[in-house]
Amino acid sequence: MELLSAGGLSKRFGGIVALNEASFSATAGEVHALLGENGAGKSTFIQILAGVLRADQGRILLDGADYAPRDPDAAARRGIVTVFQELSSIPDLSVEGNIWFRREPRTVLRTVSWREVRRRTEALFDRYRFPAIHPGQDLRRLGLAERQIVEIAKALAQEPRILVLDEATSALAARETEWLLDLTRRLAGEGRLVVFISHRMGEVRAVADRLTIFRGGRTVAAHVAGNVTDDEIVTEMIGRRLERLYPQRVAHATDRIAVEARGLSSGPRLPGVTFDMKEGEVLGVGGLQGHGQRELFQALFGVSRSQGEMRLWGRPAAISSPRDALVGRDGIALVPEDRRGQGLLLSKSVRENLTLAVIRRMSRRGVLLRDAEAALVKEMVDFLHIKVSTPEQQADTLSGGNQQKVIFGKMLLTEARVLLLYDPTRGVDVGTKSEIFQLMRDLAAKGYAILFYSSDLQELVNVADRVMVLREGRVAAMLEGEDLSEGAILRAALFDEAA
Amino acid sequence: MRAFLARNRLIVLAYVGMLVLLMVTTFFSPGFLSESNLRSSLVLAAFIGIVALGQTFVIIGGGIDLSVPWVLNCAAILMAIFCGGQDLPLLWVGPLILAAGALIGLVNGVGVALFGVPAIIMTLATNVILQGLIVIYTGGLPTPPAPEMIRYLSVGRIGPVPVIGILWAVLALVASLLLSKTAFGRYVYAVGSSATVAAFSGVPAARTTIVTYMLSGTTAALAGMLLTGYSGQAYLGMGEPYLFTSIAAVAIGGASILGGSGHYLGTIAGALVLTVLAGLLPALGLSTGALMVVYGVVILVTVTIGSDAFAGLLRFAMPARPDREKRP
Amino acid sequence: MSDSPKPRGRFDRLMSAWVRSLDRTPFLVALIMLAAIVVARSRFQSGVFSLEELNLATASALTLMLAAAGQTIVLIRGGIDLSIGGVISLGTVLAATTFGDDPLQVAGWSLVILAIGFAIGALNGVLITVLRLQPFLVTLAGWSILTGIALTILPTDGGSVPSWWTGFGYSIFLGLSGPVWVLMALILFWYWFRATRLGIVIQATGSSERSAVLSGVSILRANIATYGLSGLFAAAAALYLTTQTGTGSPLIGRDYILPSVAAAVVGGVSLFGGRGHLVGTIIGAFILTIIGDLVFALRVSSYWQPVMAGLILLGAVLASSLAEKSAKGQDR
Repeated sequence: MELLSAGGLSKRFGGIVALNEASFSATAGEVHALLGENGAGKSTFIQILAGVLRADQGRILLDGADYAPRDPDAAARRGIVTVFQELSSIPDLSVEGNIWFRREPRTVLRTVSWREVRRRTEALFDRYRFPAIHPGQDLRRLGLAERQIVEIAKALAQEPRILVLDEATSALAARETEWLLDLTRRLAGEGRLVVFISHRMGEVRAVADRLTIFRGGRTVAAHVAGNVTDDEIVTEMIGRRLERLYPQRVAHATDRIAVEARGLSSGPRLPGVTFDMKEGEVLGVGGLQGHGQRELFQALFGVSRSQGEMRLWGRPAAISSPRDALVGRDGIALVPEDRRGQGLLLSKSVRENLTLAVIRRMSRRGVLLRDAEAALVKEMVDFLHIKVSTPEQQADTLSGGNQQKVIFGKMLLTEARVLLLYDPTRGVDVGTKSEIFQLMRDLAAKGYAILFYSSDLQELVNVADRVMVLREGRVAAMLEGEDLSEGAILRAALFDEAA
Repeated sequence: MRAFLARNRLIVLAYVGMLVLLMVTTFFSPGFLSESNLRSSLVLAAFIGIVALGQTFVIIGGGIDLSVPWVLNCAAILMAIFCGGQDLPLLWVGPLILAAGALIGLVNGVGVALFGVPAIIMTLATNVILQGLIVIYTGGLPTPPAPEMIRYLSVGRIGPVPVIGILWAVLALVASLLLSKTAFGRYVYAVGSSATVAAFSGVPAARTTIVTYMLSGTTAALAGMLLTGYSGQAYLGMGEPYLFTSIAAVAIGGASILGGSGHYLGTIAGALVLTVLAGLLPALGLSTGALMVVYGVVILVTVTIGSDAFAGLLRFAMPARPDREKRP
Repeated sequence: MSDSPKPRGRFDRLMSAWVRSLDRTPFLVALIMLAAIVVARSRFQSGVFSLEELNLATASALTLMLAAAGQTIVLIRGGIDLSIGGVISLGTVLAATTFGDDPLQVAGWSLVILAIGFAIGALNGVLITVLRLQPFLVTLAGWSILTGIALTILPTDGGSVPSWWTGFGYSIFLGLSGPVWVLMALILFWYWFRATRLGIVIQATGSSERSAVLSGVSILRANIATYGLSGLFAAAAALYLTTQTGTGSPLIGRDYILPSVAAAVVGGVSLFGGRGHLVGTIIGAFILTIIGDLVFALRVSSYWQPVMAGLILLGAVLASSLAEKSAKGQDR
């Protein structure tokens, strides 16, 4: 008997069809993966499930009864709770305040009983073996991974029969991911349904009993996980056969050193790293989350203050701001972690975003050269295949992958030949991912030096020439050639002797 | 041209509104379009427009300048005292006072951009501090009359055109070019949209913010001196009305109070709307109270027209634009 | 700051201790400032620590406290309410023109004025939410409109309230004046309100509106409650103000708009929403009020008062914004 089944679901936004007669069905006690590229309709579907959106057509049956929640509260009352990719954590509330938000136990005076809240939080953490987080800590003092975990706790506190996890692992490091995958198995074992959305094939393979694939708003396939190969899944997701997700890796590294860091340190998370980056090389950065990767990127780009010695293309460099970093052909450019918060002026056009970092070069005596700007913009839009109707299109109307391309374009225009890429494929669809990897290899061939952090070990292993593993803000291992594997990275990240 | 209209819908609307108001006013008070009346309206609008020039840059840059009233007032009083009614000292007093206005702006900008003080608080603090200091300095005594030269700048005319109108036009041209045609203008919009993104893109974010406040301090000081010429003397409290009107002019001109959008061309329309309204209501036999009600309603209406919700309503009423890319 | 991060410098340790105490007691800066001012005054005048002094200081600060109480809730919500200036003006004008002498009539109209205050605030909340407008501009327009209405009813200061009404500030009950009792009620209300679900929802919405929506909060309801309360408190401030002035004043509310924000900010309320404590605001209002007494005690020009108020405001904001900056530097 199906616990949840949907049929003929359609949803339009203006002239755009987001869901086109999609269907879905899943039983209690299974982990059910939902796959598809960005824009395939997964988000729309789970937002309908969660009561955030309402379908234009079609119906959903929950336990054989009609299900059409008006809001997330109504969905939760019927036992469906969603952990959205976009976190709903409230920075100024404590961990427990977040978990029980709007459902806090109350006293006779209608005030919240914090003692009872604490008791329930501890019981919840015990029951699901949560990683250690203090329940009284303010959320704004926590990192992204911990916030993600709080989000999951918040969902579990509602005792859902159906738990929807939308890219819940994307912020998590290997160990926490392990915990979450284990948790989903246990929840399924308790007879609940977990709908699991992830772009990482490995995870899907590890937990999913069955999988449903969306493309262009339609359901194109549903499989029992054991009966289908990765290639088949990818083909169904993107509709054409993608030759390879990862490009051919031809070594282009020369002997010229692009970046020479000696004892580079910044704050307690980055006590000091020493490494070289060569011209024409993609240098991967791995390790557990929070072991200094972010601090390293920020220090190199001048976002945070740093100490230690650094040389760029052989010359001593003192970088104390992104402005310093971006200067000239000897500069450093960053594709930042937070696309919307650090990368793009969302309310501005693609054109203004692309030329923002070089606008001074686009002007003579302070006056803008509009023609030169337009030419440059067109060149970059064509080069990166950015899908826009006009360069005047506002940046926030683009898909995630195209937004990321605009940020790449902005940084490529600076002519800096050292590129820092911080998790550039996070939340990006498979097609664009593949384009980004190809671009990275092409740039390396042109003599760029690329520092590449990814939370996905598979990407590091397949795209980077070498991988530098950080542990507690120090270089734990430098892996290359035969030694470079997911297992080796994990071992170096976890254990002392690996170096 | 069509692209310009589409992008600057709000500015165009502000001008249309201004013209409609002008027609309504003429209907009720035919004398309104007389040369002398138009001239005096233009002079009054120029004061608002000049104060609002700096305010426009600050607001587009994502801030707000509440120190305008007493920067203006201090400039007026110090100018009157230093000049002592003579023209000659103005040659060094004038530039000095403009520089002092810029200096106050520098303090505001540094507080906001480098120390992270919210703009409302930073500029509010400088405002009350200046208020206290200038009253202590003058001891509440009346100041000497304005020098003739400054009187000429604010009430004199060249042919039929008031001098201050020409001055305003020049400033408007400079401001508009700065916003539209220079890298600095691009920086102001970028910082107003997101200071973090701007900084990550190598924009000198702090410096840009500081310069907008310096501009605001300078234009407030300039307006203070000119206003002294207009009223013949400087007096305590003369800047107070310009806090509301400078912000209102920017808002009516279609800028977002959150920063990142707007243009001085809109602010000009805003200043004109406010002035025409001030002329219209007495013509209808209405009081100051009614004028304030109307001001409030006009602000509400303009920001409503500019809001996302209203744009959504329009999109609902009209067929969807094909150029919107699919969102995930 | 220090070269090797392991043995952290004394400055860093001090800074992080400071950040932690600010996290626990957001109005710490205000408390220290208030203590400093009171102590400074006590060196020039006697009787600063008397009950009488408390009664007097509260009587002169209570209007600002009430106005700032509403403002505090709005700021915690992440908004700002400039319309309270209009509500206060209109409130005093309505009181002075309707009260008469009959206690029952006075009570009735007081309730009406409070209800009008709430309704105006609620309307602000509706406009801000439904039309998705900026609170700053909506409430600025509201200030203008309400002041205009007040001016139409009463073009200049005038009207009257009963003489027993104006005696409220001096009434003593159990050794404490009426205003002190109101103040205590206000504090009690706050401790209750901040622990209710509504209080938490308002704080959460100010902390991250998007997250609140994703968690199922109705922004419309939160905004109506927030701005409604602000209007209600502004109306209460107006009523109390008439016990002090005895007249209706169509322009007086203006004097409380920015000071209400200042009192809250001095008291550690964040302008970015999500953080703040009414006790801090009350301390802030005390500071801004008794700073005048200190200036008087120092026997300098009374116009040093705004100067000092401005400096205090800057000092308070700098203390917390620098602490927040260093906290970010350490934790991220």
